[in-house]
Amino acid sequence: MSSPNQTDSLHPLEIQVLRALGSASTESLKDPELVQATSLAASQVSMAVGWLLTKQLVHLVSEITTTYVALTDVGIQFQQAESPLEWILHILQASSQDGQATTVKDLQAIGRFQATELSRAFGLLKKEGVLSLGAGGSLHTTGQKSATVEALRQLLNEIHKGSRPLESFSPDQQVLLRQYAVKRGNTQEPFRIDDHTERTYALTPEGRILLPHLREDAGQEISQLTPELLKDGSWRNHSFRKYSIHLRPPRLAVGRRHAYREFLDTVKTKLTSMGFQEMRGELVETEFWDMDALFMPQFHPARAIHDVYFVKEPKHAKRIPEPFLSQVADTHKNGGETGSKGWQYAYDPERAKRLVLRSQGTAVSARTLATNPPIPSKFFSIARCFRYDNVDATHATDFFQVEGIVLGSDINFRTLLGLLKLFATEMAQAKEIRFLPAYFPFTEPSVEMHVRHPKLGWMELGGAGLFRSEVTMPLGVTVPVIAWGLGLDRMAMVALGIQDIRDLFTSDLEAVRNMRRQL
Amino acid sequence: MPTISIFQQDFAQLLGQPASIPDIEQWLPWVKGELKDVNSDTGEVRVELQDTNRPDLWCVEGIARQIRAVLTGSLTPHSFFSTRGRPKRRIQVMPGIEHVRPYVAACASLGYPMTVEGLAQCIQTQEKLAEAFGRQRETVSIGLYRLSSIAFPVTYGVVKPDEVRFTPLGFEEKMTPQEILTVHPKGLEYGSIVAGYERLPLLWDTDGHVLSFPPIINSRELGEVQIGDTDLLVEVTGTDLSMVILALNIFASNLADRGATIEPIDIVYPYETAMGKTVKTPLDMGNTQRVSFHAIEQALGMALGAEAIQTALTSYGYQVKSTRQSVAVKLPAFRNDLMHVMDVAEDVAITRGYDSFSPIMPQTFTVGALSQQEQTSDQLRDLLVGFGFQEMFSNILASRNELVERMRLGGTEYESLVEVDNVMSQTYACLRPSILPCLLRVEALSPRVFYPHLLFEVGEVARVDKEANVGSRTVLSLAAISAHPGANFSEMHSYLDLLMYYMVWPYDLEPVSHPSFLDGRVGRIRCQGKIIGYIGEFHPEVLESWQIDMPTSGFEIEITIPNA
Repeated sequence: MSSPNQTDSLHPLEIQVLRALGSASTESLKDPELVQATSLAASQVSMAVGWLLTKQLVHLVSEITTTYVALTDVGIQFQQAESPLEWILHILQASSQDGQATTVKDLQAIGRFQATELSRAFGLLKKEGVLSLGAGGSLHTTGQKSATVEALRQLLNEIHKGSRPLESFSPDQQVLLRQYAVKRGNTQEPFRIDDHTERTYALTPEGRILLPHLREDAGQEISQLTPELLKDGSWRNHSFRKYSIHLRPPRLAVGRRHAYREFLDTVKTKLTSMGFQEMRGELVETEFWDMDALFMPQFHPARAIHDVYFVKEPKHAKRIPEPFLSQVADTHKNGGETGSKGWQYAYDPERAKRLVLRSQGTAVSARTLATNPPIPSKFFSIARCFRYDNVDATHATDFFQVEGIVLGSDINFRTLLGLLKLFATEMAQAKEIRFLPAYFPFTEPSVEMHVRHPKLGWMELGGAGLFRSEVTMPLGVTVPVIAWGLGLDRMAMVALGIQDIRDLFTSDLEAVRNMRRQL
Repeated sequence: MPTISIFQQDFAQLLGQPASIPDIEQWLPWVKGELKDVNSDTGEVRVELQDTNRPDLWCVEGIARQIRAVLTGSLTPHSFFSTRGRPKRRIQVMPGIEHVRPYVAACASLGYPMTVEGLAQCIQTQEKLAEAFGRQRETVSIGLYRLSSIAFPVTYGVVKPDEVRFTPLGFEEKMTPQEILTVHPKGLEYGSIVAGYERLPLLWDTDGHVLSFPPIINSRELGEVQIGDTDLLVEVTGTDLSMVILALNIFASNLADRGATIEPIDIVYPYETAMGKTVKTPLDMGNTQRVSFHAIEQALGMALGAEAIQTALTSYGYQVKSTRQSVAVKLPAFRNDLMHVMDVAEDVAITRGYDSFSPIMPQTFTVGALSQQEQTSDQLRDLLVGFGFQEMFSNILASRNELVERMRLGGTEYESLVEVDNVMSQTYACLRPSILPCLLRVEALSPRVFYPHLLFEVGEVARVDKEANVGSRTVLSLAAISAHPGANFSEMHSYLDLLMYYMVWPYDLEPVSHPSFLDGRVGRIRCQGKIIGYIGEFHPEVLESWQIDMPTSGFEIEITIPNA
C-alpha cells in the first residue's frame, strides 16, 4: 500500500515523526526520545505514531512496562510538614511534657486530619506498642519507637527527589508503599503507584522507502481552509494537504427515530393507505370492555389471576355505560336478542367493573363498536397490551398488538379471506397463503393465516374472524364485522436483527443506536 | 389451549386406517389442532388443540372420531345413548350434598380389557377434562373404579370430616377425609374446593366400602384401575349438571370407541334438577336447532346449496333433517358448543376446507386516517429527531423504586401510581406516570456509550385521577433529556422553546420546587393556562440513586389534544 504518492496525504506531524526516526543515530527510538527529537508535544507524537502504525510505515519494536512510585499532593504535604502518625506523636509528646492528658476526641477536635485517618493511625501505633490508652481515654506514648513512622519518613524523603521504579525498593518497603498508595475509594494517600509503558518504534521497510520522498514544505501546507484565507484570497499562495480518505471517520451522535417504532410507523402508514382509521384506548380497562363485551364468559380460563394483570387501587370502575352492560349481561346469560343461547351462567355485573391492564387490543375494537361507527368503515389500533407472563426471550410484559375491525353489509367469510390476502401481500410480500381453522372466543368462523414470507419462509401472520353476533349486537352493530389481528413482532425482530423480544424495548443506548432495519 | 400426547399406532387403530405423520398434519385442521412435535422412535405425537369449547377433542379418541367422520362422511352413532329401559345399576344421592357438590353422573364400561395405552390415555383425558374444562376440578372431577368390587346401589352423600376412614390412592394406611385434606398431596392441592364445608362429599357402596372422596381422591381398594381390568365404573361429580353429564358423555364415548360396552346408570336425587329427579346417564342433552340455509350461505359468502350444506354437516358428525329452506341440526352427545347459527356455518367451512373458499378482495372505499394523538406525536418526533435527539422506546411497566424512590418523589404529591394487584415481579409492578424515569434508566445503563446523550420518547403514561371512571387517565407524554459534561437547564430550555415555537404552543415557565430537580433550576411549564409539565436539571441525589455520573437535565410535557 505504500508508494511515493502516499507522501501527499501524510499529515505534517507524521512527516516530522518519520524524519526523526529516519535521521536518528540508532535504528529505533523510545517515545520520550521521539518527543525530544521532534520537539512536539507527547500527545501529538502519540497521535502521529498511531496513524503511522495503521499505515504500516512504522512498527512497534518493544514495549516495556515499569511500575513507578511517586508522591501525591498529599505525600508532598506529608514530606514537607508531617504525616498523621508523626503529628500524633508530636502532640502527645508535647502534652505529656506539659503534664496534660489528651484524648482521641481532643485530637479529632483540632481538625487537621480526618477522623478515619486518625483512627487508622491510632490503630497502627497501638499495635506497635508506641501508644497506650489510659484512664478517661487519655493517650500516652510508651517511649517505644515506631518502625512504620521512621520507614515512611525515609520513603517520603527518598521519593520526593523524583519518582522511582517500585522494584528499586526492598520488599518490606514495597509492602509499605502499596499500603499507603492511592486506591479506588481512598485518594488521601501519600504515594501513587502507576504503570509506565515505554514503547520503542522503528521505520518499517515501507517507511524507509518513503523517507527520501517526504515533502520539504510540509509545515507550510494548509490543513483547514479558513474564512480569512477566503476573504483575502491568500489561499492562492498555499497548497492544501491531501487527506487519507480511507481512514474511518469520527463517530457522530445524531438524532434518529427508534428502529422498532419506525417499523410500526410503516405498519400504520400501510394501514391508513388501505383505508383504515386509527382508534385509541386506555391502558387501564374494565373487564367489561376487555373481555365481557368480547363474549368471553366470566369463568373463561384466560381471565384467571395468572393471565391478566389486575389493578390494585381502585379495584373497580365507577360505572359501565348502559345499555351495553345490560345487553352484554343478557347475551352471556341466555343470548339476549342475538339468536344465541348464551353461556348459561349467572353474569356478575360487579365483576364487569373490575379494572385490569388491557390484555388485548380487541378491547379497543369493542369500544369502537359501541360508538355507532359509520357503515362501511375500517379501523385499526396499535395498542400496548399486558400479559401476566414470566419475562423471557419470547415473552414481554408489555407489547404491541396490531388489530382492527372492518364493518360492512358485504362482509362474509370470503371477504374476510380477501382482506387477509391483502394483508399477506401488503405486510409480508407473500404470494402463498394458507388459511386454517382457528379458535377465538369472540369470532366465528375463525381463521389463522400462514404466509410464505420471501425471506422468512412460512410463518403465522395473524388471526381473524367474523365477530360473533354475541359481540356486535349488544354493542348496537347490526352488520357483519371482521375482527383481525396481525402478529408482526417476529417480522420486526428479523428486520431489526434481534433474537430476544426484550431487545425491542432495550434501555441500552448503544444497542438502540446500532439497530437498523435489514429487511 | 390443551396440548395432549397421542400415539400414532393407537390413533390409527381408533381411526380404522393407517395414519402417516403427513396424513395427521393434513387432517388436524378439522379439529383445530396443531402438530407440536413428533417422536419417531416411540410414535408419540404432541398436538395442541385450540378450541376451548370442544373438550371432546382433547383426547386421541375424540380426534380420531372427528377425523373418521369427515373421512367417511358420517359419524357412527353410539348406541348406549338410546338404550331403553331402566338401568340395572343405581346411585342414590343423599340430602345435604346439594350445598357442596350437587351433581353426579356415572356409567359402567364392560368388556374392554384395559391396556397400557388405553389407561395412559384415560388418565390424560381425566386430567385435561378436570383441569381445563372442570376448572381445576372445581366444577367437574372424574373417577374410575374396578366395577367388580363394587356392590350397588352406590350412595353419594356427605359425611363429617372424621366420620369414616379409608385408604386413599398413594397411601398405605387408612385416613379420614380431614386427614387427607391436611396430609395427602391431592388434599393439599384441591382442598380449597371443599374448604369451609362442615360435611364433605363421599361415594360409598352398599357394603359401606368407600369409592372416593370427590373431588380430592379415590380409595385404593376400589379406585385403583389396573392393566387388564375389563369392567369399570366411570363417575363424574361437580357443580354444573350439564358439564358433569357432558364430561361423562365424552368419557363413555371414548371407552365405547375402544370397544367397551357402556351400560347407563340411574342417578336418583332427593331434589329436583334441570333434568328431573331421576337422571339416566350418559344422557344425550342435544337440542335440535333449526338454521336456515340462507343464513349459512350468507355467512360464508357462497351459494353452496342445501345438499352441499347437509353433506358437510353430516360428515362433521351432525344429525340433520332438512326442509326446503332450513335444516334441523343436532350435535352428537359429546358436544355442547352450539350457541348460534354461526357455529354451524363454521363447521360447514371446516368440513369443506377453508381453502375451498376463494377470497373476495375488499371493494368498499373508506378513508384512512391517523388519530389526532398520533399525528401530534409524529410531529413532535420529527422535530426532536431534527434537534438531534435519539428516540427511545421503553416498556411502560416499571418498579415503584424506579418511578418514585429514585426520582426523590417518595412521600410527595407525585408518588401515586397505578399499581398491579397480582404482581409477578417488582420490576414490572406499576404503570409509569412519567417517561423521564425510563430515559434515566437508559442513562444509567449507558455510561460508556459515546456522548452526548440526547434522548426522547413520546408515549403513553397512566396518571392517577380519582375523578376518572377507572381511577386513572391514559395520557400522551413527551420527555427529553440531555446528558453530557455541560448539560444544563439553559440547553434544555432552548430545545423546549424551539419545540413550543414550531408546535405553536405558547408557554410560560414558572419557578417552582420539584423534588426531582435542583432548586432554582426547575420550571413548571404552563401552556394556555394549564400546567403541562416540568423542565430542570436533575437533582444530584436523583442522579446518584440511578448511579449516573453525568450531569443530566430534561423536560416532560403532557400532550393535550383539543377535542380528543
